[in-house]
Amino acid sequence: MHTITDVDKYTVEDVRHVNDSTYVLQFSRGGMEFKPGQHLNLGTKGSGQHREYSIYSSPDNSSIEVLIKLVDDGVVSQQLRNVQPGDELSVKGPYGFFLTDAKPKKGEKLLFIASGTGIAPFHSFIMSYPEADYRLIHGIRNINEAYDREHYKADRYFACTSRGNKGDFNGRITDYLLSGQEKKADKVYLCGNSSMIYDAMDILRAQGYRHDQLFTEVYF
Amino acid sequence: MKVLKTVAFKTLGCRLNQFETDALVTGFHNAGYHVVEGDEKADVTVINTCTVTNQSDQKSRHTINHAAAKNRDGLVVVTGCMADNYKEKLEGQEQITYVVDNDRKSQIVELVNGHFTGEIIHPDKMMGDRFGFDTVQKSLHTRTSVKIQDGCDNFCTFCIIPSVRGRAVSRPVKDVLDNVRRVVDNGFKEVVITGVNIGRYDDEGLTFENVVEQVLELPGDFRVRISSLEPDGFSEDFHQLFSHPKLAPHLHLCLQSGSGEILLKMRRMYSANYFMETVERFRKAIPDFNFTTDVIVGFPGETDDDFQKTVDFIREAKFSHVHTFRFSRRTGTRADRMKEQVSGKVMAERSEVIRKISEENRHAYMHSMQGKEQRVLIEKVAGGMASGYGEHYMPVAFAVEDPTTNRFEQVRLTGTTPSADPVMQGTLI
Repeated sequence: MHTITDVDKYTVEDVRHVNDSTYVLQFSRGGMEFKPGQHLNLGTKGSGQHREYSIYSSPDNSSIEVLIKLVDDGVVSQQLRNVQPGDELSVKGPYGFFLTDAKPKKGEKLLFIASGTGIAPFHSFIMSYPEADYRLIHGIRNINEAYDREHYKADRYFACTSRGNKGDFNGRITDYLLSGQEKKADKVYLCGNSSMIYDAMDILRAQGYRHDQLFTEVYF
Repeated sequence: MKVLKTVAFKTLGCRLNQFETDALVTGFHNAGYHVVEGDEKADVTVINTCTVTNQSDQKSRHTINHAAAKNRDGLVVVTGCMADNYKEKLEGQEQITYVVDNDRKSQIVELVNGHFTGEIIHPDKMMGDRFGFDTVQKSLHTRTSVKIQDGCDNFCTFCIIPSVRGRAVSRPVKDVLDNVRRVVDNGFKEVVITGVNIGRYDDEGLTFENVVEQVLELPGDFRVRISSLEPDGFSEDFHQLFSHPKLAPHLHLCLQSGSGEILLKMRRMYSANYFMETVERFRKAIPDFNFTTDVIVGFPGETDDDFQKTVDFIREAKFSHVHTFRFSRRTGTRADRMKEQVSGKVMAERSEVIRKISEENRHAYMHSMQGKEQRVLIEKVAGGMASGYGEHYMPVAFAVEDPTTNRFEQVRLTGTTPSADPVMQGTLI
């Protein structure tokens, strides 16, 4: 009755570099339905290698975008960097439940906490629901990792930089959360590496958040 | 006189596989085959495989080779998760007649019938149907499962199952209720609600709890047990359902690790705190509620401290049984690519520690149940002694005069047999 989706007709439209080590891969949507926050298993056609990437674009767009950071000894991130417009991709999905229950409700404040390319599902969400009452805290090393910062309202995007002094806060996300400067939200969604999420969850719980207010998606 | 063709089954792995074999047994029986024991020579041997760990692969391979060697003139049908995971390799083995994936497992009777009547088709040409199994009539067990769901979308980083069982799909609630009615009409007294990730059941907005609630309202003298469940698959009110007399107060709730960091790396969708709060909520409502669980030892990056958190958690949650798995690298999973893989020696040591705690917990739980009543479903009577399971899923033995099986008896628990695999003793009330 069912097998994992692997529609062959996903073709590359564009590769847009957002800095030296990160790029946005855009490809044809092929009729795929998805919700902001979901991810795909993606690879070059015929390679047999797939990796998980959260969808970066909104379901309202005619194409699909994913935000990919090059991994030095990685396989798929390197292969995908070299694709050309018209090349076919192998795409499975969409999968996952992250953010799928987060459709904005009137008066509900959402706090999004991301490290690195963990910003991707939030980008998809915010592009889909620009009216949402959100704050996006983005943990990065340098300010050049503030991917597409101009896509967010200036007072809603907040960069925590662990190196350099050009962030809105100079230090890690966890340092910022510990400083107590962030106003309380109704729900908190965290996406990024597991260490950041684990430490941030501890801080948020200590600040009074209940487990049913906290939602996570781990990147590795 | 027409000589019936014989069919034998070998089943590996989970309760869902066991259910699907039971349904195939029924299907072959209804189609006029004589079902023989799994080790007997047969015209048809069906091997329902598992691929969840490397060890499962080895067992499945061994079982296939053994069955094929014994039945050189017979049909050998390989199905189950290994058939999905290693389809091409298995199809290349001459000793195997057919390789049938999970999608088409329910069609094996038609495939074999076609073979014997000259209508040979490739299994891939058959229509897939995850819920197309016969209603179990002639089971190898006194309890039967009802499959409500298949597949999983969780993609835990260690797990190959989403790749072999496919996307989550739910059986319409009407079909589930019809199936339960039929198995109860067929005489089964215990129905186990099963699937790959049943907490994700979703039939046009109806949740897992909704379907359980509707099953409980069906008429008849039967009880309902829930098979393995993920901690994120139900609401905070779920425990209230267990006040229903038909619902057995036992859950196999999969922990996997007591370390929050490891749970995140596993991409489990709950925290250790959340799990413990769930256990406490249930025990507040039903103090002797029986929890059992699964734990993986040696997940990549699991430190001594992480492991100790798991040990502490198991003691505090008082699981009466812990099914311990040593982490197994499965190609294509995220955990296979993780650094900090844990050595086999450390995994073996950790596994042994948990085995001992599990035994202690089991003895303690059984001790706490002494003096209480259980409604035992008798599975076997031998030498005047009946054995079966009470509603809390503890094995119970007691003296009876009536040798009839598949009936309930009210029993008072009086003690426990002194063995590594203890059984509770009781007396008829």
